Amino acid sequence: MQITLSDLAFKYKKSLPPVLDGVTYSFQSGKLYTLLGANGSGKTTLGKLILGLLKPTRGEITIDGQSGKKLSAGKRANRIGYLFQNPDMQLFATSVLEELTFPFEITKCLTEQKKKKLSDLLVKFKLGGMEDRFPLTMSGGEKQRLALATVMSRDVKFLILDEPTSAIDQDGRAFITDFINGFVGAGGGAIVITHDEDLLTELKNPVTLKLFGGKLT
Amino acid sequence: MKTDPRVKLLVIVLLTTLAVLAKDVIYLAVVVLAALLINILLKTDLASAFKRLRHFLWLLLFIALVQSLTIKGGTVLLHIGGANLLTTRGIQFAVEFILRMGVIVFAGLIATTTDGREMTDGLLKMHMPYELAFMSGIALRFLPVFREEFSARLNAISMRGIDLKKIGLFKKLKLYAYLISPTVSGCIIRSGELAKSMQSRGFRANKKRTMLRELKMTAKDWTIIAVSLILTACYLCAMYIHGTLVRF
Repeated sequence: MQITLSDLAFKYKKSLPPVLDGVTYSFQSGKLYTLLGANGSGKTTLGKLILGLLKPTRGEITIDGQSGKKLSAGKRANRIGYLFQNPDMQLFATSVLEELTFPFEITKCLTEQKKKKLSDLLVKFKLGGMEDRFPLTMSGGEKQRLALATVMSRDVKFLILDEPTSAIDQDGRAFITDFINGFVGAGGGAIVITHDEDLLTELKNPVTLKLFGGKLT
Repeated sequence: MKTDPRVKLLVIVLLTTLAVLAKDVIYLAVVVLAALLINILLKTDLASAFKRLRHFLWLLLFIALVQSLTIKGGTVLLHIGGANLLTTRGIQFAVEFILRMGVIVFAGLIATTTDGREMTDGLLKMHMPYELAFMSGIALRFLPVFREEFSARLNAISMRGIDLKKIGLFKKLKLYAYLISPTVSGCIIRSGELAKSMQSRGFRANKKRTMLRELKMTAKDWTIIAVSLILTACYLCAMYIHGTLVRF
């Protein structure tokens, strides 16, 4: 999978300076990218642009050669997974199991095979036996694992993780870094947006990118 | 020089009162134009306000359409068989409804030109108890918070591979039901945090309060009040004379 940004620019308001200004880059599967930058440098904005949650004010994004203009956020989400900085914003349902099943119920594609896959995901993300728990009362690490499980419930090829280790303990952190390394090792691609410099040493062979003054270096 | 929030509150009360009391299209249209003019003078961002209110505007048009089709009287303009579908009275009711709602929307937009803190100060100066004035200010502050929470959760729904534009109305309603509970609970959690933060800073620790900024009425404010009251009184008299005043 390849995500190409061509002369990408974005402004939140016409009167404000651009957050991103002429970003050109190509992200590829099988590689792990870490995106660094100060607060307000546009890291999360870049992630949201790739996901189609924001529209660029200039430039274009292509995903596997297909123009981003033709791909809605919903369609992109089936190829690119996004882990929110705050897992509370990603969880809606009244139980852990429902959290995983409801998008498939809505789109009428909750097959037996899918149910089996979701059940396996719960075990993989150490959520076995918690099917009936109310997600918003879980610990930070459990919520983060559940949010990641919801992302992985679709066959995404690329991940964007926004500050994935900002609110979890050491065990949770080890789980997340192992997961990212494993996902990329298995051929997936990932962009990890982070402030956490220690995380850079724990991730395998990351390509480190920095956002400064609206430019990607 | 900024207009005092108390003056804006008075103008809002006068405009909405006229909107309720006028029962003639022309008189209502003049009140709408006056409200629009005030917004332009206060430099309200009307374009973004309309963008935000667009779904609400469609709802208003739908209600107006239902009114025009269901209220009978006057000359029949459209009939199918023996049933009168559209009458001049129905259309008049629909237009009056749209204009009344227009006044209310524009009057509401006047309030958005003052930040929550200033509005609280204004209410305090009008001798509203501090707790109530503060609550009103906080409530205004929470509206954008609520909108942001809801919008972020809609994004999260899209990130589950659900194309919101392509699913049917009933599925959409089911999705919104999923969103309402966490959005409301998120706002309640935030308000709880705000309450703790306020208490930790000594909110209500002393009965006597002092203000960092004292609102003072200027000559401009008094002039606006005098002109607004005179114009409203003249308008009410004109409506009374022409028999276009709503009688309860």
